[in-house]
Amino acid sequence: MRFAVGLAVGSALAIGLAYALLAAERRQASSARYERLAVVRLRALTEAVEKFRVPSEEGLQPLLIAWKARLPGSPPARVVATQGIRLEASTFPQDVGDKAAPRRLEREEKPLFDQAARLRAAVETNRSEGALRAEEIEITKKPSGGLRLACPVERDGAVVGMVQMETPAASGRIRPNAAVALLSFAAPVALFFLLSRVAGERKGVLALLAVVLLAGALAFYALHSLRVLETDRRELETAVAEETRAQAAALPSVLAAVSASPAIHPETWDSDEFRRPRSLVKADGNLDEERLRHELGSRAAQAGKALAGVGALAMAMLAFVGFGGAARLGATLCKNREAYLYITPAILGMIVLVFFPFFYGIAISFTDQTIYTTSKPLSEIFVGLTNYAQILGDFHIARRAADGALVFNYLNFYWTFLFTVVWTICNVTIGVTVGLMLALILNTPGLALRPAYRVLLILPWAVPNYITALIWRGMFHQQFGVINQMIQIFGGQPVSWFEKPFTSFLTALTTNGWLSFPFMMVISLGALQSIPGEIYEAARVEGATRWQQFRAITLPSLKPALIPAIIISVVWTFNMFNIIYLVTAGEPAGSTEILITQAYKFAFQKYRYGYAAAYSVVIFLILLIYGTIQNRATKATEAI
Amino acid sequence: MAGSKREEQLPHWLLHAVLIVMTLVTIYPILWVLTIAFSGKQSLALVDLPAAPTTADRLRAVVPWPGHPTAANFTSVMTDQPFARWLVNSAIVALATTALGVFLACTAGYAFSRFRFPGRRVGLMSFLVSQMFPGVLTLIPLYIIVVKWLGLGSTRTGLVLCYATTAIPFCVWMLKGYFDTIPKDLEEAALIDGASAPTIFLRIVLPLAKPAIAVTALFSFMWGWNEFILAATLIDKEDMYTAPVGLGFFVGGFSQQWGYFAAGAIIVSIPVVALFFYLQKYLVSGLTAGSVKG
Repeated sequence: MRFAVGLAVGSALAIGLAYALLAAERRQASSARYERLAVVRLRALTEAVEKFRVPSEEGLQPLLIAWKARLPGSPPARVVATQGIRLEASTFPQDVGDKAAPRRLEREEKPLFDQAARLRAAVETNRSEGALRAEEIEITKKPSGGLRLACPVERDGAVVGMVQMETPAASGRIRPNAAVALLSFAAPVALFFLLSRVAGERKGVLALLAVVLLAGALAFYALHSLRVLETDRRELETAVAEETRAQAAALPSVLAAVSASPAIHPETWDSDEFRRPRSLVKADGNLDEERLRHELGSRAAQAGKALAGVGALAMAMLAFVGFGGAARLGATLCKNREAYLYITPAILGMIVLVFFPFFYGIAISFTDQTIYTTSKPLSEIFVGLTNYAQILGDFHIARRAADGALVFNYLNFYWTFLFTVVWTICNVTIGVTVGLMLALILNTPGLALRPAYRVLLILPWAVPNYITALIWRGMFHQQFGVINQMIQIFGGQPVSWFEKPFTSFLTALTTNGWLSFPFMMVISLGALQSIPGEIYEAARVEGATRWQQFRAITLPSLKPALIPAIIISVVWTFNMFNIIYLVTAGEPAGSTEILITQAYKFAFQKYRYGYAAAYSVVIFLILLIYGTIQNRATKATEAI
Repeated sequence: MAGSKREEQLPHWLLHAVLIVMTLVTIYPILWVLTIAFSGKQSLALVDLPAAPTTADRLRAVVPWPGHPTAANFTSVMTDQPFARWLVNSAIVALATTALGVFLACTAGYAFSRFRFPGRRVGLMSFLVSQMFPGVLTLIPLYIIVVKWLGLGSTRTGLVLCYATTAIPFCVWMLKGYFDTIPKDLEEAALIDGASAPTIFLRIVLPLAKPAIAVTALFSFMWGWNEFILAATLIDKEDMYTAPVGLGFFVGGFSQQWGYFAAGAIIVSIPVVALFFYLQKYLVSGLTAGSVKG
């Protein structure tokens, strides 16, 4: 019985998923088909516009009219020239009468000019960088459902305008055949019932039967999906080739109607958004069978991989239900349903917004994701441990300059790590020293005004630390900051704090010291006040000096409070993002970045998400090691 | 203690001297902000120095006292600048974070304290470990999830969800500790009287845990009110800024509106400082309880 349920659940899951995948794929294919046909048209028209030498006053208008006349059913198009901000030609219904092309663009038509300028910029950027970064064909969806496409027009190697085209909404939606899916789900389940009558209650046989049936059903459906996809793809390419042939047949006569007819290149029309030909259509307008077969093969391999994943999932489900795992899980959930009910909201939130991002971040760290590749699946940009190797394997911390001086490479991980360690040690030392000293003074019995001092000295802790950081950055301003004014009172020269690593470090250290000593002070004060006065009295009777009292009584009783406080403040300071980010901002040249701000800069200023994620994982590992050691030392988690 | 040996103590005037110097250093930046806020100008300098300043001029330039105190910066930051809107954003975000955070933490804390179920230890430990996740690592995926997938970039909802969940571990641990101290007898007695589990939770446990819930609420509020980097990353529309992001905006980049910054900083800090002094003793005990948040 369990195997029957397992088989039903497993195959429902697998066939359902496969159906959904197939549906999504076909939907995508149908919109891709629509888009590619439109691009072929657009590129053909663009080539005509490029080849056309303007002979008359009317400019390009006759060309567009001839094109539309020769190819009935063509969508409306317009040609915009950036020079002179002109509408050179248009077959849009609204551009008639006194608005007929050619004319100057009107104020409310500025988006047209902007788009042409954007396309020109895109082409120029790609050319100057030698990379394909900005899209050279813009395709946007209209709210009504159609597409608006635009392609740059080039004359003598420079972009002089654009051709824009608007297609009507695509009609009809393709749905995969649901009957086949239903059949491949129902048939094995029914078969299983029939055969289990024959097989009886033998567990091994039933399990084997279930696996075989599931695999069979899946294989059947997978083959069906692959065939559907292949047919779709073949139809798509044939349609593209047909459209190309139609355009290629029409263009010479369109051009001939208005001027001479130079050679055309139909094989370049079917292209991607960077105007790179897909090279599936040959110059004569026929399909390149070999390339198509190759493409189909690689697509099938991808689809096969996805289906194999689905199959593995279904098998796991079958095993889970079949061997009683699901029943046990259900029983546990049922028995503790109250507890699980209470923790579900919190756990759900934590999983979606804390744990999933964490593991997703780890996954990103194995890719070279950048801002340009966020929409690509992670498997396509997988680079393995390259990021980690780059971070941890780069030991070029410093080199000798020509004059023999040491030049540090501030972007190097080990420099930043070293800086972070120094930064942490200095800060914690300052915090503990100043805090402890003030606590000892404030603990003096009979000292007047103690509560007043205490409140004032605690203030820095109360102020939000980003405000503190911004205040101190203002005070360290080179020209107007009060710190430099004070230096000048004593006859010094104003210091440009953020131009040397050391002075820059001092500003951050001052800021963080200012805001962190009250914490240590409050902790120490609390511990000091819990030491009974009699102990000191007894020590004095014994003749102990003040220093001896401090060593033998005060320090040991401070230890249990101070050590956890130090442990926490090490982590805080290690991760003190706001102070570094807002006070020094890493100036000069990233020399005063700590690990956490450096990772942030890699992510949100250099947009190297993969590298930044790997950097953060390294930080996490450092903290984890620190935390483990700390746990060993304090056994803080004993009490769970 | 009256007759203790005074000669071993340091003289009180010396201690006072040290304390006064330290207090001056401590409150100087605060006085500096107050001075700029009440100066009515946007300038970073406390006074405009003449071309050839004398020592007296320079001295005047570092004394934190406005020449002609005026509240102009406060009124114009609230009216001419979108700061009032940013404050409202912050208040909404912080209050919603508090409500959601307390709800999530109470239910989860109660379950962790009262029930023994498979996954309890793992859950508690994973909450603890999650405190060690570096913010930047989760920031990139959070950005992708919240902005690209959920479409909640530049919205208060997105911020509230992020803040409430990131505050959960600390709040859960704190509340669990407090629930542990409430004797079980009361609940058992109610159970015998026929009260249902939700009734026990709502009518008996929650009222008893009021002090801890209040502290949790105030922590969540301060977290939502003070958070800077997540808001700066997720929000890029100016009218959706929270107050911290807005304050950074006044003096970031090429903008140097120090008067607005100072006035805004004071407005933002007042509730936080007040809350801080109220919460101080919980802060110390809560923080030393073993949380290691960066």
